Amino acid sequence: MVLRALAPLTLAWAVLAHAAPVCGQPLVAASAPQNDVRSWLLRIHDAAGRRNFQGTFVVSGGGYVASARISHFCEGPNQYERIESLDGKQRKVYRYNEVVHTVWPASHIAMIEQRGMLSSFPALLQAGDDGIGDWYEVRAEGSDRVAGHDADVLAVRARDPLRYGYRLWADHASGLLLRAEVLGEKGDVLETSAFSEVAIGVRPQPEAVLQAMRRLDGYRVVRPLLTPTRLESEGWTMRQIAPGFRQVSCVSRQIDPPGEASGASASPPVVQSIYSDGLTYVSVFIEPFRPERHTRPFLAAVGATSTLAQRQGDWWVTVVGDTPPATLRMFAAALERRKP
Amino acid sequence: MAIGPFDESARERLSAMADGEIDGVEPASLCAGWAADEAARRDWHTWHLIGDVLRSEDLASDPRRDRELCVAIRTRLQQEPVVLAPSRGLAGHRGRWAVGGAIAAGMVLFVGTFTVIHPTNDASPVVAQADRGPVAVAPAPLPGTVPAGEEPVVADMRMIRDAQLDRYLAAHKQFAGTSALGVPSAFLRGATLDTASR
Repeated sequence: MVLRALAPLTLAWAVLAHAAPVCGQPLVAASAPQNDVRSWLLRIHDAAGRRNFQGTFVVSGGGYVASARISHFCEGPNQYERIESLDGKQRKVYRYNEVVHTVWPASHIAMIEQRGMLSSFPALLQAGDDGIGDWYEVRAEGSDRVAGHDADVLAVRARDPLRYGYRLWADHASGLLLRAEVLGEKGDVLETSAFSEVAIGVRPQPEAVLQAMRRLDGYRVVRPLLTPTRLESEGWTMRQIAPGFRQVSCVSRQIDPPGEASGASASPPVVQSIYSDGLTYVSVFIEPFRPERHTRPFLAAVGATSTLAQRQGDWWVTVVGDTPPATLRMFAAALERRKP
Repeated sequence: MAIGPFDESARERLSAMADGEIDGVEPASLCAGWAADEAARRDWHTWHLIGDVLRSEDLASDPRRDRELCVAIRTRLQQEPVVLAPSRGLAGHRGRWAVGGAIAAGMVLFVGTFTVIHPTNDASPVVAQADRGPVAVAPAPLPGTVPAGEEPVVADMRMIRDAQLDRYLAAHKQFAGTSALGVPSAFLRGATLDTASR
């Protein structure tokens, strides 16, 4: 069964929707009354769901730079996207609402996914999920210019060291998020994602996206299977979840890359339990320990993403998240094998 | 090779060598003489300095700098180098490495002047370092020698990145692709980063 209809977006939305009212700090920019912050955040979401734009998107941090050509169209409630990587191996990603096709032309492999979490803005807007403002505060920081557009700057500060802060640049005219920085504990920029150029309000061409998604002749189509499960029924329990986080999903899945997941050499399924504080996510992967594969424990970070991997008895636990390493350690330490 | 005082003709030959006009075995004896004669060393440096400055003023330098550099290199070479990983041929000795304090076969990050990095096929980067300040050392013990819950050590993901790790990142990304920062932004970020490279 394919995973769908998760609700983390509601959670996600709640942060921004509720962060402003709990913000106790005086605003730096005199031009921004506090309730405006909330409306800007609303606009960021709104713009993401309603604007048509086309541009070059660059993600950089930790010594890497990746860029992609992006087209995003909306038509009624439907969203369409075409993303073409400009670095490394050629790769194209098409999205029609929750359906995501990733195509590697060189190896003739196409991966089709259902990403339930990508859908449904209305759900976000209705979310009354509170509490995330306890972990972040949002503040207006005046205006700037990004990719040729006037932008409003928002600072999202983490209230504890278990998560990173952000600085956001939203297009003044449309609200579209033009640039986002992930900030480390000392305010250092860990990762930047930004449009280097973008045209907002382009003519939508959804049919072009759909056509490309139908054109899979000659491709080997892979559909990753995510089977919903529960940590407990897999024999595990999370004694204590890091403050502010909650479990948003738990699946049993293959994590081998498309094309390798089948056949006799297929790895045993991996349990992936996903936690979110609304802005960021942590995945806990559990699988049987295999000496030939799991050769060494490590804690690594590149850009804003950290990974912690270590052995736990007969199991190998990998925790991945866009959080400080301390958060990953917390999750790893709280994971407990239940007595059979 | 016995070399007499560095006389005028030898100096001329040295000058010719500096201009690249001498080949064969002569440079060897000239260099031996040059090394033994302070005046000749100074000349040798001056001629090169003239040539360097003619090419670029940035290359102008004090002779002492070269000497200090040589001394510094020698000193550091004495402090190091440490073999940090067995070659594939030594794979059978891994147990010894692991028991012996696990400097070996691991991950060493450093902010060093002289570094050598030989990625090996078994995904254990071999790093030789010639500086004193390792940022992190991740021992690569034998499978099974790590007690559960042992604190792993910080490493730079670029150095341990392999297909393995990418799988987790890609799987994580499928969920992390959505956040309050707006669907496109986070999704685009995920889609732009090529973790699930194929």
